[in-house]
Amino acid sequence: MKRMMVAAGLALATLAVPALPVAAQEVARVRDGVTITPGQTRIMIMQPNIKVGSMSTGGLFEPNAEWTATARKLIDAQVRQQLAGQGITLVAQPEIAAGSDGPQNPVQQYRALFPVVAKAVMEFQFFLGNRLPTKKRPGVFDYTLGSGIASMPGAQDADYALFMFTEDAYGSAGRKAAQLLMAGLFGVAIAPGVHVGYAGLVDLKTGDLVWLNADPEMGGDVRETDGAVKRVGQLLANFPGTKLTAPAPAPKK
Amino acid sequence: MKRLGLARLSAALLLAGAALPVAAQLPAAPAAAPPAQLPPIPAWGGTLEPQDRDERGLWMMSADDEQLIRGSRFVIDDPALNAYVRGVLCKAVGADRCQSVRLYVMRVPVFNASMHPNGMMQIWSGALLRMRGEAELAAVLGHEFAHYERRHSLAGFKQARAATDAALWAAFIPIAGLAVSLGALQGFFIYNQAQEKEADLGGLSFVQRAGYSTAAFADVWERLIAEEDAGRVARGQKPRAGRRSGFFATHPPSAERMTYLRALARQAADTGDPGAASLRAGLGAWFGRFLEDQVKLNDFGGTEWLLADLARRDGWTGQLLSTRGDLYRLRGQDGDMAIAAGLYREALAKGHADPETRRGLGLALLRQGQQAEGQAMLKAYLEAKPDAGDAAMLRMMAGLPSPATAGPTQ
Repeated sequence: MKRMMVAAGLALATLAVPALPVAAQEVARVRDGVTITPGQTRIMIMQPNIKVGSMSTGGLFEPNAEWTATARKLIDAQVRQQLAGQGITLVAQPEIAAGSDGPQNPVQQYRALFPVVAKAVMEFQFFLGNRLPTKKRPGVFDYTLGSGIASMPGAQDADYALFMFTEDAYGSAGRKAAQLLMAGLFGVAIAPGVHVGYAGLVDLKTGDLVWLNADPEMGGDVRETDGAVKRVGQLLANFPGTKLTAPAPAPKK
Repeated sequence: MKRLGLARLSAALLLAGAALPVAAQLPAAPAAAPPAQLPPIPAWGGTLEPQDRDERGLWMMSADDEQLIRGSRFVIDDPALNAYVRGVLCKAVGADRCQSVRLYVMRVPVFNASMHPNGMMQIWSGALLRMRGEAELAAVLGHEFAHYERRHSLAGFKQARAATDAALWAAFIPIAGLAVSLGALQGFFIYNQAQEKEADLGGLSFVQRAGYSTAAFADVWERLIAEEDAGRVARGQKPRAGRRSGFFATHPPSAERMTYLRALARQAADTGDPGAASLRAGLGAWFGRFLEDQVKLNDFGGTEWLLADLARRDGWTGQLLSTRGDLYRLRGQDGDMAIAAGLYREALAKGHADPETRRGLGLALLRQGQQAEGQAMLKAYLEAKPDAGDAAMLRMMAGLPSPATAGPTQ
């Protein structure tokens, strides 16, 4: 883990990778035939994967436990509020409710699997420059976590599972200074921070990914209530069967 | 996270280093002069707690990782194996230190062990398969504990941040800045290698105090070099494993580790117990499963070397012969089926009773056109294992009728 952070940091520091052009990226898809009916559909909220930290001058992610704890609380509250406001019945992920956790736990295995599938969607379908030939047919959105998810504890108590992932690295003072200098002196763009997030809905009978929303331009400071409202609004934008829409874009910092 | 060995950063980074001739002008890592004696074991300050913002952040990330690791299908949750491995850790580092570690035995057929800063330790099954005695296992676990006790993850993180910060600022200096940048980055890798060495020595101190043989740890690296070389030769590559360190190597070369560990062990007047028998008893039936996993790695040369090395210790047991038969049968080049069949027959002649040997022999014979005997072997296997996952296919190959329970097909 540390090794990966270091590798990523070194790559950022030495190569100064500019951000991907946003226009070449599709943001969201819904699978045909998904039916979500407010008042009837039950959705299990999986423990979201949330990391908040800062970006060092050299581009290393510096995890911040306090910011992360705050963001987890704020985002959880917002997700519940916004979905409940649409009449969706919410169900807790089983071992959060039970407080138990053990080896060979399918809940954790699906939590680990979801980001892998979501990243495959983003890389091989949403990113137009790299779209696989089989993903080019109109209307195709065919990914699954496997039907084994139906036997995951708690799966019979809900219709869909909502998975969420956010990672934020706020640029340190040194990073921001380096960014300005790099741009001013050499015209080289280095990322001043990282703000990524995605949310997906998985059918708990088939395992099919029925909706994925992966807007690469995440806004909202997740360390503050107002920011979390905005971030969750963006994560849940166009949630199938609801009237949730993306919040108006705020002026960029 | 600190790992035991052989870790390399991405190929892209290595290429970036190789493409820049400036690397050659940078000062080389200081030569490893073995210290005069094993370092004393420091007084135990109790289970660690995160102290500053950086450490709390790293612990938070580790807690997230641990939650997923704990639920992973790769965790071996057999209580007997866990109790054994944990027992070795506790004997090595002592009961007080042992309490702060949560140990996960992972079924991953690669030589490795790792330590997270929050007390999560992992040992992979590939490492367990390569241990020749409890003393070696104690040294590996002691090495990981030394990383934890010395807060190496945190120090390494701070060093990496300082190095990447310096590298970025140096990038503002035209031309010469590149050399300074690379120098700063290499500083991180040198630092990391120093941590690995410190953990090697710390681990060895635990091993000595616990009354184990101190010579054992050097043997681990010697065998790793030989195994890796054998794998390379079988793939038509030059043997060079472990003898030199890449520019971006996070760990000292295996040969260097072997050398300083051996020198220290000699000075420590080794009278300890290598613990070969107790390790075999502790692994129990898992040893055979780890062997099966190894065969499936498709590393013919390395696995041949590993099996021969095990046979040097135990002689060619039926189990080793049968596993070697699998290795040849799965490679399946010209003549391999005949060799495999011979190995299976030898295993059977030694009274090896595992039904899998008959299965392997049956399949190898069928591939050579020896229908009658091959089918007889598969029938014998199916009698012992009627519920095998591929029983339906094997029944067909054995010339048996489909099971009566099968309903009509549409």
